[in-house]
Amino acid sequence: MQQLLELFWLFIKVNLLTTSGPASVGLLYKETVGTLMTYAQFVQAVSFSSILPGSDALQLAMFIGYTVRGISGALVALLGSILPPTVLIFGVVSILHRLRREAWVGRFVSGLMPAVSILMVLVAWKIFQNGNGGLVSLETFLIAAGSLVALLLDAPAPLVLLVAGLVGVFLG
Amino acid sequence: MKKNTKMHLWLKLFWMFLKINLLSTSGPSSIGLLFKESVGTIMTETQFVEAVGFSNLLPGSEALKLAMFVGFSAGGLPGTVAALLGSILPPTVMMLSVVSILHRFESEIWLQNFVSGLSPAVAVVMAFVAWKLFRSEKNLSWQVILIAIASLLGFLFSVPSPIVLVGAGLLGVILIR
Repeated sequence: MQQLLELFWLFIKVNLLTTSGPASVGLLYKETVGTLMTYAQFVQAVSFSSILPGSDALQLAMFIGYTVRGISGALVALLGSILPPTVLIFGVVSILHRLRREAWVGRFVSGLMPAVSILMVLVAWKIFQNGNGGLVSLETFLIAAGSLVALLLDAPAPLVLLVAGLVGVFLG
Repeated sequence: MKKNTKMHLWLKLFWMFLKINLLSTSGPSSIGLLFKESVGTIMTETQFVEAVGFSNLLPGSEALKLAMFVGFSAGGLPGTVAALLGSILPPTVMMLSVVSILHRFESEIWLQNFVSGLSPAVAVVMAFVAWKLFRSEKNLSWQVILIAIASLLGFLFSVPSPIVLVGAGLLGVILIR
């Protein structure tokens, strides 16, 4: 029960502090890896939620919830992710025009953006190193360079991840 | 008769979001598809732009907020619920089945290799998205850079991440005009 409440609170928090699926990855890494799940499980969660069709954020939440506490954990994580946007949307729709004039909410989110970006870069660096115990191998470097080129050429991220995983299987 | 057409609208909303969530992988990429499906049929372009604007403005999952906003414009409260259900169902079913299969293969060597191939790509994708987010501020003002530096220091001195983020948000409220 304690663990379920913890999961619920974690996803409420994450969904109040980030604005989209990919942006929540940085914060989730900090809050879950080492305590709730292992590094490898986290990378799996991020990749599969990106590859599968449907909302990234929800899939990531359910994957983490499932890893921690099975089906009930997944449902609690889903609930925690859905609640903040639902409440906010209903609140906003009812006071739509007043909020547009005041716009401090918009400034709060603008302030979040640079911080979320920094957090993501730091976590990205950690993920890059941890993949092979701190030592960056040639394969890792090649996959990273290949992914970067593909993204610069506007390849969709899910496809890039899928190919990178397959390359890993063949090189390993 | 009236009840019938309403029911029809709810079903249409439900089906629309079911389809969109099966065909696209994330919030931003669903916007194009959603535009084609909804503008002109269940809402005007102005309403759509407003929906996209608000779902970016508020914290929380973009895709969900967009769905609920569209549902609300088209069919009020029941429309919102129909859109929400349609968006939640596909990822829930898929994720639960994938995750239960994956946990069975956990110790397989090919899955471990798959993950070690994924790691660098995940890192690059994250850095890429971070850069896009950072650039999404239309003009890179000194306030944005200041907040970025302050949060970098916060993270390096291992201040808990949620506190850094709340602080950055508050700085935004105070500094950004």
